Amino acid sequence: MSAPNKEQRRACWAARDDLWKCLDGGQDDAEACRPFQQRFESSCPAQWVRYFVKRRDFLKYKEQLQAAGYEYAEGPAKT
Amino acid sequence: PKSRPAAHSFQPLLKHSPTPLQQRVSFSQGPTQPQNPGSKAGLRLKTRLIVTLLFGGGILGAWWYVWQEKQEQLQQQRMEQLRQVAVGQGNFSLTDHTGRRRTKQDFLGSWVLLYFGFTHCPDICPDELDKMSSVVKILDQDSSLPKVQPVFITVDPERDDVAAMERYIKEFHPRLVGLTGTPEEVKRAGQDYRVYASIGPKDDDGDYIVDHTILIYLINPDGLFLDYYNRMKNEYQIAESVRNHMLNHRTAFTNVLK
Repeated sequence: MSAPNKEQRRACWAARDDLWKCLDGGQDDAEACRPFQQRFESSCPAQWVRYFVKRRDFLKYKEQLQAAGYEYAEGPAKT
Repeated sequence: PKSRPAAHSFQPLLKHSPTPLQQRVSFSQGPTQPQNPGSKAGLRLKTRLIVTLLFGGGILGAWWYVWQEKQEQLQQQRMEQLRQVAVGQGNFSLTDHTGRRRTKQDFLGSWVLLYFGFTHCPDICPDELDKMSSVVKILDQDSSLPKVQPVFITVDPERDDVAAMERYIKEFHPRLVGLTGTPEEVKRAGQDYRVYASIGPKDDDGDYIVDHTILIYLINPDGLFLDYYNRMKNEYQIAESVRNHMLNHRTAFTNVLK
């Protein structure tokens, strides 16, 4: 299966952006965003879908860290 | 004894001669200052201003000079570090997107911007190649600079054959050259540039992502690796850096000729 060309990449990224906008708006409500999810999955290769899901998780995690602050893990007890 | 002045001529008399009371007050304060701006006090003020400005200018000049020296020193250190890392020393031999064999020798005499990636890349490679194309376009606008040769080498030789490379690169800068080869040849080229590449897990379709170093390398006409640019650098910053390297290269060369 050949790699997506420029047009296909753009379509995939647009579908992904629409999905993310929906999820961001509705606090990650998967049900409400189902049509966007379907369009995303049909516009992008399966491998890319998995990649972008991981990417979003990472971006959300980063946001959390930056907003909530970083808690330093307690090191080994000093004796 | 002075006779008392008449009431109607009181004002003019004040101007020309201080009353006895004023005289006493002024004597107790010491010699009076003249009021004229063109006089000694005014000159002293002007001189002081000029001296302050010169002094301030001198300080600024000295600070700027020291800063320049520091920048040069930092640049020298970075060049030395890059030389020691000795990246890109080997001679790669690969196949370009037209099926022609290309070696490192073929690129000598040109400034090269090099990027390693793969055509099945979801977002990063297209972004970086677009950025690299923009850099070349920006530099092309300056006719006094030599034309830069953009190069794309795959880290996924299994899938990125000549046809795949040809399809992929034609959507970026017209001068972009795509290079591929046997897994051995590609691995050797990657090792030359200390490029990390790791093929990810394959899915049911046999599709996979290749995790790899995301850098644009700058190589000078002598084939020496000079600089690198990560994702944080935008096209203007990269173009500026390349321009500076080109200008330094020119002056270094002319110095050698003298």
